[in-house]
Amino acid sequence: MAKYAMVLNYKNCINCKACEVACKEENGILLGASSHRIWVGVNEVAGEFPLLSIASSAFYPSQCQQCGNAPCQQVCPTKATYYDKNGIVQVDESKCILCSYCMIACPYDARYVDDRTMTVDKCNFCGDTRLLRGLKTTACQATCPTKVRTFGDMDDPTSEISEILRTKEYFTLKTSLGTEPKLFYLK
Amino acid sequence: MEVEISRRRFLKGSVALSVVLGGAGVSLVAKNEEKSPIVGAYGITKTSQEGIEIPTLCEICVNKCALMARVENGVVTKLDPNPLFPKSKNMLCPRGCAGIQALYDPDRLKYPLIRNGEKGSGKFRRASWNEANEYIKEKMVKILDEEKDNRSAFLFCAGEGMAEHTFKTFFQEFGSSNWLNHASLCLQTVVSGYGVTLGGYPSADLQNAQYVIMSGANRAEAIVTPDTMNLFKKTQGRGAKLICVDPRFSHTAAKADVWLPINPGTDLAFVLALTYVVLDEKMYNHKYVEEHFNDFNAYNEHILKNQYTPEWAEVITGISAKQIREIAREFMLYAPKAIYYPGRRSTFSKSDFQLRRAMAIFQALGGGIDTKGGLVFGKTLKLTEHEASSPIYSQAQARAIRKRDDAKKGERGYEDCAIVSGGGSWIGWRNRFLEGKMPYNVRGAFIYKHNPVLNMPNSAKTIEMLKKMELVVAIDTMPSDTVMYADVVLPECTYLERTDPVNTFGGIEPSLAQRNKVIEPLYDTKPIMEILRGLTQKISKPLFEITQKYDDEVRGAIEDSSVEEIYAEFDLTKPFMVSQEELNTHAVAHYPGADKILKEKGVFYPDMEKMYRQINANEYQYYPENNKFYSVNGGKPKTASGKVECKLEKMADLGVDSMPTWKNEFLFVVPEGKFRLLTGRHAQFTQSGTANNAMLRDLMDENYLWINTRIAKQKGIKFGDKIEVSSKVGKTVLRAYPTEKIGHNVLFFVHGFGSQSQGLTLAYQSGGNDNAVIEDIIEPIYGASVMHETNVEIKKV
Repeated sequence: MAKYAMVLNYKNCINCKACEVACKEENGILLGASSHRIWVGVNEVAGEFPLLSIASSAFYPSQCQQCGNAPCQQVCPTKATYYDKNGIVQVDESKCILCSYCMIACPYDARYVDDRTMTVDKCNFCGDTRLLRGLKTTACQATCPTKVRTFGDMDDPTSEISEILRTKEYFTLKTSLGTEPKLFYLK
Repeated sequence: MEVEISRRRFLKGSVALSVVLGGAGVSLVAKNEEKSPIVGAYGITKTSQEGIEIPTLCEICVNKCALMARVENGVVTKLDPNPLFPKSKNMLCPRGCAGIQALYDPDRLKYPLIRNGEKGSGKFRRASWNEANEYIKEKMVKILDEEKDNRSAFLFCAGEGMAEHTFKTFFQEFGSSNWLNHASLCLQTVVSGYGVTLGGYPSADLQNAQYVIMSGANRAEAIVTPDTMNLFKKTQGRGAKLICVDPRFSHTAAKADVWLPINPGTDLAFVLALTYVVLDEKMYNHKYVEEHFNDFNAYNEHILKNQYTPEWAEVITGISAKQIREIAREFMLYAPKAIYYPGRRSTFSKSDFQLRRAMAIFQALGGGIDTKGGLVFGKTLKLTEHEASSPIYSQAQARAIRKRDDAKKGERGYEDCAIVSGGGSWIGWRNRFLEGKMPYNVRGAFIYKHNPVLNMPNSAKTIEMLKKMELVVAIDTMPSDTVMYADVVLPECTYLERTDPVNTFGGIEPSLAQRNKVIEPLYDTKPIMEILRGLTQKISKPLFEITQKYDDEVRGAIEDSSVEEIYAEFDLTKPFMVSQEELNTHAVAHYPGADKILKEKGVFYPDMEKMYRQINANEYQYYPENNKFYSVNGGKPKTASGKVECKLEKMADLGVDSMPTWKNEFLFVVPEGKFRLLTGRHAQFTQSGTANNAMLRDLMDENYLWINTRIAKQKGIKFGDKIEVSSKVGKTVLRAYPTEKIGHNVLFFVHGFGSQSQGLTLAYQSGGNDNAVIEDIIEPIYGASVMHETNVEIKKV
């Protein structure tokens, strides 16, 4: 039993996409433009050359928010999307009927269709690969050149993630929707 | 704080990827012979619970990061960072992670090939190793006989890599004088500039620097370890102020505190003006200058007298005088924990060598040399060298360079450049070869892990050169554009299938690291050591016979002793009869336990077991603070004099300015209606070597032409439109990316795309080739290729 979460020191991100490649290799993710578990959000820089806004060009690494109150889980008619014992939102391939309600419900656009398994897939914190092997890091965290991510158990008060959340300022995405995301971005 | 995070991936547009499960790809020889050995093309499989992990080193770029290769049922399923290595610090970049695709690329060179069509037609027949070596032998014997044993009739060239040394040994044993490597296409001028000024090409202690000027370097996209990892955890108000100087808004600019869009190629004027401010206001480190500078007074007078003022530089660089003053003052305020970042890149402009000198001197004015937070030399752990003596061939001519007969003192002495370095001037050599200006015939070439067709300006000329060579032998892993012009192709196995020479990585936290074989070579491929073993066994005796024929001394020596005894000196096979593993054991024998640790853990340094520990989930301690090698030379530079060399009188004799001097000829004019072309690197691709990597192409499937949005609008160019870019020397076609990240008369696209090799299923004709367009302009001092002095025109196609 654990409550897994992730802190993202997003200011470290250089948009190199090592996380994306490591995720695909680790989890056998289908190649293709729209079929990813993880991404770096970018916006075209604001302003006109040479007067550009550095702040507008920040990189936002992201993935499934592992909501404590997940809209995708609530709308799933077959209970294919469910919480496992560690609070990770998981997808049961055998139950998914590709109705895509979850894709519409997710405010973070984190769900996508895997054509091979015919499942609306998503990030599961490497739950059936690395965590199952007893590793303490996700593939995206381990490989990151600038160490954006820290993964851990919020229920363990001595864990590194608990300490970061006690001592650093952070924000979550679309907080007002009440989804209780477990991806925390450091200010 | 509300942040909108979208999945928008503008660079990909709506181009769907068509490679998924694409089958075994196009074989150079014939289809359906051998398929990729694992189920599902491109080897993207989910990791399972059963597997072993083998420590090795990456080879997707020059950094050589330590990694753990996960092997499940003989298949490599995942590459993870090996946290033990102080240089790469527990990370593996996107290219490193995608290394599996280099191993399982269906387009790999799988067996020896012999050309059976026109050169460049891409038509080859499959051959056995014996057949391929026999073919090479026959051609070599003919050429060397006709050239009367002038071994320099063969050119040897190589790309960067841990096994380059093994190939270079072959070059030395063979006895040619013609060696060309990547240096003159890469960092020749920066290494030389720092070398003659500070006595070495230093590392930057970005872990402790508080102020960093990064000009002409792009560490967020051109990843260098440990610099990239150290710097970007500290930028944007978190410990280090970053000034990014770049004509385009790169990812490094996006992480900077200040971005200065400089006029391309005018960095020397920028540094001279910073220097002017510091000298004029006497803000430099007086003690350091007094103790560690040669000819400071001359330099001081030179800068002030020439009036390299910020106002002067503003006109040239486009950076305001106010900002230049501020930066100069801030730099000295933070010095010695301030770094003018040396960078490592190809030569962009003709002034590059003097730019590097000016940067090194500016750095030293703040005293940030051989000290924490500044530029450092670090320590290097010694390896035992493997001794090999090379035979001497009396008929071998000196390197094919040409002196200028009419050169006077104070003028450059060679046709190509002022100084001929070990790596030579590739572009100068190639052009003289084509112009018939060689001192003797060069008729064959051995090319190892090197793709000059795509990597050297003016691709058309490189192709012409290869076509004119009577015997081109290419040793590579992939059917690159250069391989297409080979007569014989010898397939090397990839880095995951071989053990390479153990390497020493100097720095603040020095270590040894070793590339260990992860799996046995696939197909009929071999490591370079075994390739050269087979080849030299075939050619050694026949070539010795030619030497006997034309070398009176050798014949005399045989008469005095015996053929066997003299042949022993000329036996080319000797260096290649040992295994790489044995050589590595020998190289580290003086470190107790190192050999075993390198095999088991991939990394070794003395007292590692005592000093190495995990700090947190992401970070490790390699050396405790007091054991780090920040200062190894008492703060002195490493020049012979022990001083910073401001003025180099000897260079003046060779026609090189003794002190960094701005010249009006450095000003580059872009005519109305034309654009200056810039090229550069990318975090997801390494030169042309990764263009066929399915995983990386999934991130960006072609390169795009950066053009200012307002100019694009005037010309009716939209995102994704196909644009032909043309110059005096050639043209290429790629898609447009209108952006405000670049100025009005400048265009940019990433290097490494636009392959014309049909052997590369995915990379073939995908995107544009910068070197099809970049003119062959030779940097005057070392003969490096100047990459950013080409004007181009564009049109929609």
